[in-house]
Amino acid sequence: MILQQLVNTLVLGSNYALIAIGLTIVFGILGIVNLAHGEIFMIGAFVAFFVVNGLQANFFVALLAAMGSMALFGIIIERGLFRKLRGGAEVNYFILSIGLLIVMENAALLLWGTDPHSMGLRTSAHVIDLGSVVITTQRLIIVAITVAIIIALHFFIKYTKMGMSMRGVEQDFEGATTVGISINKVASFTFALSGALAGAAGALMGSLYIVQATMGFSPLIKAFTVVVLGGLGNIMGAIVGGLILAAAEIFGGVYISSGYQEAFSFIILIIVLSIKPSGLFGKKQ
Amino acid sequence: MNSNRIKYISSIIGLAVIAILPFVLPDYPLHLCALSGIWIILVLSLCLLQGYIGELSMGHAAFFGIGAYSSVFMTMTGGFSFWAALPLSGIISMIFGYLIGLVSLRLRGPYFAMCTLGFAEVIRMVLVNWKKVTGGPDGIIAIPSPNEITLPFIGQISFINKIPNYFLIYIFVFITIFVVYRIVHSLMGYAIVAVREDQDYAECVGINTMKWKRFIYSISAFFAGLAGSLFAHYLHFISPYSFGVAESFDLVIMIIIGGTGTIIGPIIGAVLLTLLPEFLHAIKDYRMLIYGAILIVVIIYAPGGIAGLLKNLTDRYLPKLTTKMGS
Repeated sequence: MILQQLVNTLVLGSNYALIAIGLTIVFGILGIVNLAHGEIFMIGAFVAFFVVNGLQANFFVALLAAMGSMALFGIIIERGLFRKLRGGAEVNYFILSIGLLIVMENAALLLWGTDPHSMGLRTSAHVIDLGSVVITTQRLIIVAITVAIIIALHFFIKYTKMGMSMRGVEQDFEGATTVGISINKVASFTFALSGALAGAAGALMGSLYIVQATMGFSPLIKAFTVVVLGGLGNIMGAIVGGLILAAAEIFGGVYISSGYQEAFSFIILIIVLSIKPSGLFGKKQ
Repeated sequence: MNSNRIKYISSIIGLAVIAILPFVLPDYPLHLCALSGIWIILVLSLCLLQGYIGELSMGHAAFFGIGAYSSVFMTMTGGFSFWAALPLSGIISMIFGYLIGLVSLRLRGPYFAMCTLGFAEVIRMVLVNWKKVTGGPDGIIAIPSPNEITLPFIGQISFINKIPNYFLIYIFVFITIFVVYRIVHSLMGYAIVAVREDQDYAECVGINTMKWKRFIYSISAFFAGLAGSLFAHYLHFISPYSFGVAESFDLVIMIIIGGTGTIIGPIIGAVLLTLLPEFLHAIKDYRMLIYGAILIVVIIYAPGGIAGLLKNLTDRYLPKLTTKMGS
């Protein structure tokens, strides 16, 4: 029983990490908390759903389609909206993203209704039975893809020129401009990356559970909790934070109360913010 | 004609309109006006926080809910009169505000906003799950109207009809406006604005920023609690779905569209957002979509909101007008 919960924690936690990394890079590098991040997750899931069920394509094609389209979407909202507020008060970014969240969620509700959709991948999944633990190959693949994406992202940020520029902007906005880094390029790219990660997370979760227009808000809260847990802009922290949150939800849901399962992330958020606002692995500001 | 005189004249006109409305409006529009009044109290209580401390609360509807539920509990289970439950529910809400403020006010910016959202959601989940007291997701029905009272000169007033309720709500609207105005235009107000403009600097010149922030947050929660009590006994029905994230977002939208940091702006925002969907029945399904879009446009192109636009207009045309009249 406990082993099975641990496996579930790994699946859920890796997904939380994936969403949270997208949120934390935009927050860390550009200082923007994008509340519409969960809605990008939701639209990514719908893109994957339509590619799988409408075009009858392979799930991996759907995953790439979700990532690509959400990366493009990220560039569009950065160029069209967030860039216009640069240099103003930070709270304006926040309000802008609330507006975006409301528009995206309600547009999705009008277009696709409140009904849950399923990609229908569950029935075809192969089951691996290890005695006390049952895991479907689908879940294994999901964890593998998530780990692969996170490792790729790590190397990208560490070794490519754009990755270094992003870190430069994160450390010192004006310093980065002085040495000739184009803030516009970095900002667009960061939003594209963040969108792609959210799209991937949406497609993966959507394949496992359901796809619904209202599915975006809860991942946003969870991602923010993970970002706070792991420390701002910290990718390793986001992975650990994702696993901690998933463990708290799954074990709390089983052993404490399932009625308050959704509340656990809020309670963790409040506790961490009140005791150590810089996060478990964050540097002191 | 200076701007002060304009303020006086427009507030007198406003008062007169509010006094006449119940005698000329049919039932349903009057109901909308009463609801607008409740939203005005709420939005002003949040505006105190957002406009004058500079922090954005995304969980203000929770205090509205605490006020409503505690008032209903006191009158229906505890046997209290509405007139005792009304201030008490404000005070209960204020105590919650103070306690939540102890944690959340140490944070700034997005951390503060998400922390308030977290508290609000936890409170809402308690309302949903604590079925014995709150009635769970179905809510509570058949909440009594405010008790009859006998006032000197006026005589006995019963609150079965809409009109006395309307006046009751608007009396509290004026109390709220008065208190917010007094707080902002006092020495205390300057301290609060200093906290908003630069918290670190305010601390340096000897302003106890935490003390002021806690004070404002508690007052803000107090008025939201009052609004909750008025709301519950006016509508006779409450459920956790009236006090969720959507309502907290509605309040933020009202303030931003109306104009942050002013008193008249949020009032305009509250009235506009309550009445607009009624006038435009065709767009009712698109209501939130349109609000979201307006919010985006306002924050990018007119961060001062409607109040800011009005001020720009009067600044531009009023001097011309007065010189013409003078010559």
